[in-house]
Amino acid sequence: MLAVEWTRALLAHDSRFIAAGLLLGGVALGLAALGWPATRLGLGRSRFAVRVIGGLALGAVLLLPAAARSGAVPLLPGGLAVVAIAVSIGEELAFRGALYAALDELGGAPLAVAGTTVLWTLAHALSHPPEFLGAVAAAGLLLGLWRWACKDLVAPIIGHVIADLAL
Amino acid sequence: MKRLAALAGAAIVYLIAAWLVAPGFYDGFGPQQPYSWTCPPPQAGANTKPSSGHADIPVRNGTTEAYSVYTADGQIVIGFLPDSFDATGKTMVHVDITPLDTCPQPQGITFVTNIYRITADAPLKKKSNVTLLYSNLKPHPDYIYRADNPSGPWAPISGSQQGQPYTMFGSTDKLGYFAAGYIASTPPPGVVTVGGGQTLPIIVAVLIVIVVLAGLPLAVMRRRQSGAGAADDEEDGS
Repeated sequence: MLAVEWTRALLAHDSRFIAAGLLLGGVALGLAALGWPATRLGLGRSRFAVRVIGGLALGAVLLLPAAARSGAVPLLPGGLAVVAIAVSIGEELAFRGALYAALDELGGAPLAVAGTTVLWTLAHALSHPPEFLGAVAAAGLLLGLWRWACKDLVAPIIGHVIADLAL
Repeated sequence: MKRLAALAGAAIVYLIAAWLVAPGFYDGFGPQQPYSWTCPPPQAGANTKPSSGHADIPVRNGTTEAYSVYTADGQIVIGFLPDSFDATGKTMVHVDITPLDTCPQPQGITFVTNIYRITADAPLKKKSNVTLLYSNLKPHPDYIYRADNPSGPWAPISGSQQGQPYTMFGSTDKLGYFAAGYIASTPPPGVVTVGGGQTLPIIVAVLIVIVVLAGLPLAVMRRRQSGAGAADDEEDGS
């Protein structure tokens, strides 16, 4: 996972490869979830409306600091919207899905939440300036705790997609 | 209840951590380093002043070598081809890049970068390539503009186009003042953009309204179900 994330971050330095790198990176991360039952990934269909509402709530929380400082906040170029969705879904399947499930089996929920947060932060070390990594870690912790508290991955996927599209 | 408290705590930690940095960090679509502003926008957070640059371009056999001159923070780079300067009688051509310490906004143009002054002690003979880095905190520019004087008139340089992410480049046959921006009377270029700007507070407000309007009935329904002894349908049992 780290290799995929760092490779896509390095590819993003070259404009010719940024979209392809993000798209392929998202797909490659998503492959990590192959072989896991959907319920172990938190992708069951029960309480689906609650999961969707939870995703919208997570999206609102993730965007709130930027929205409170409206004016000239970032604009995601339209061409990157599709790849932003691919990366968001791929990262959630890989980190809060497969990695969380594996660590949960290994050492229980505390290891799963802490481990996914640490690896998620490390995965973003090449794509973000160092001063942003605290906020990245906090976002990872929030999404990981949701995964633990609600045994759900649908809401983190929705929240992550919303945040990436709007930021 | 313990889980709800943990989630609320994590949300508060996130809000504080995200408040301490400029917006736009979430998934690395922004530039690798924060932009150094002469006049930072309010949401920029901590700011370092932009750097200047200097180079001494050697002259061999009466012609200057190919050379790139850039500021220490890499926010502007100018590349010169071989024999770009009229270096008659010189052994060296000195080039300086200095960020202007004010931020004039000429009528009709909105600059989204600092203004840089590029000077040389020999006349330019050939076109040189200018590359400007811009921030993700402002709309994408559509041109690099040049002027002989900060008060204008400003004109787009030829071949202005997007380069690597968050960079613009173009070519110029004159040195002077350079900045990237867009025509103020038109919407910010980049045309199709998602989120950001004034849209973002609306998106968040809509999300909150949906969550409240849809979440309350769902919560009531779940409470009634659990009151009626409905089985908990948690899935992975961890």
